[in-house]
Amino acid sequence: MTMSGPTKRIAIIQGENAVVSEPGTVITTLLGSCIAVCLHDPIAHIGGMNHFLLGEPGRGQHVAAADMNRYGLHAMELLINAMMQKGASRLRLSAQVFGGGNIQAAFGPIGTRNAEFALRFLKTEGIAVGQTNVGGAQARKVEFRAWDGIATCALVAQAPPLRPVAQFRPPSASSDVELFA
Amino acid sequence: MPAASAIKVMVVDDQTSMRAMIRRTLQDLGFRDVRDKASAIEALPAVQNDRVHLIISDYNMPDMDGLEFLKAVRADPVIGKTVFIMLTGSSEKSVVQKAAELGVNNYVVKPFAPAALKEKIERVFGELN
Repeated sequence: MTMSGPTKRIAIIQGENAVVSEPGTVITTLLGSCIAVCLHDPIAHIGGMNHFLLGEPGRGQHVAAADMNRYGLHAMELLINAMMQKGASRLRLSAQVFGGGNIQAAFGPIGTRNAEFALRFLKTEGIAVGQTNVGGAQARKVEFRAWDGIATCALVAQAPPLRPVAQFRPPSASSDVELFA
Repeated sequence: MPAASAIKVMVVDDQTSMRAMIRRTLQDLGFRDVRDKASAIEALPAVQNDRVHLIISDYNMPDMDGLEFLKAVRADPVIGKTVFIMLTGSSEKSVVQKAAELGVNNYVVKPFAPAALKEKIERVFGELN
């Protein structure tokens, strides 16, 4: 069964993910050098997409905790966990990978490195990769019909504006979770 | 001041990439004996057969989650006092509270920076050298 005429759209930006299990919902994002990975469980009809800025920190690189979720390593973990919490089976997951454009020459091949990270991560984790649309020098708009796992990717002329990374908020001292001072 | 190199660690996470990252982080902190397993079901007999000083386990795993793993470790008369640090997601406050009830020694919220993991380990073991 596939759905036509989706009625709900969820737009995500870097550092975010969305997971849905309802038909008629499209997750969208706009990518420059960032990567969006779409995961889908075809039996549970659960789909999710993330959007991350970089692959993983370099060894020994000091990164603040609040900045870690812009990295693909954590973005993928969050997405996979969110999929499983919705009822997806990790063993049934398949992936589609988009983005990784080398938009600004001054940044070097950052998009290429991001795409390489995503594909390496998925291979390491044993998640099959279907459609990919990565690299090049253009921005992309991705739409993912999460329920049936169909993604479309269109090249667009303008790179997405840089936006602040969605803030990760670890439990603070006032949130009553610090039990081990 | 304990030497990190003398502390045996078991890392449990269902994601290969995350296990690799945690291993690298621990090795950078001076840990030398770092084992890992992809599931609590594999890790439990492993630490029963070959004891470690520290277990670092993800919460969110299929089949046996981190809380069930912690409960099983604490129920074992031989390995029951092993230091156990849980890795949780940002939205899992109730997990942390439940883990505290079950006797977890500390927790680290993912995503975490290497310094955060070091700090939580040192809160249990004291400053590492």
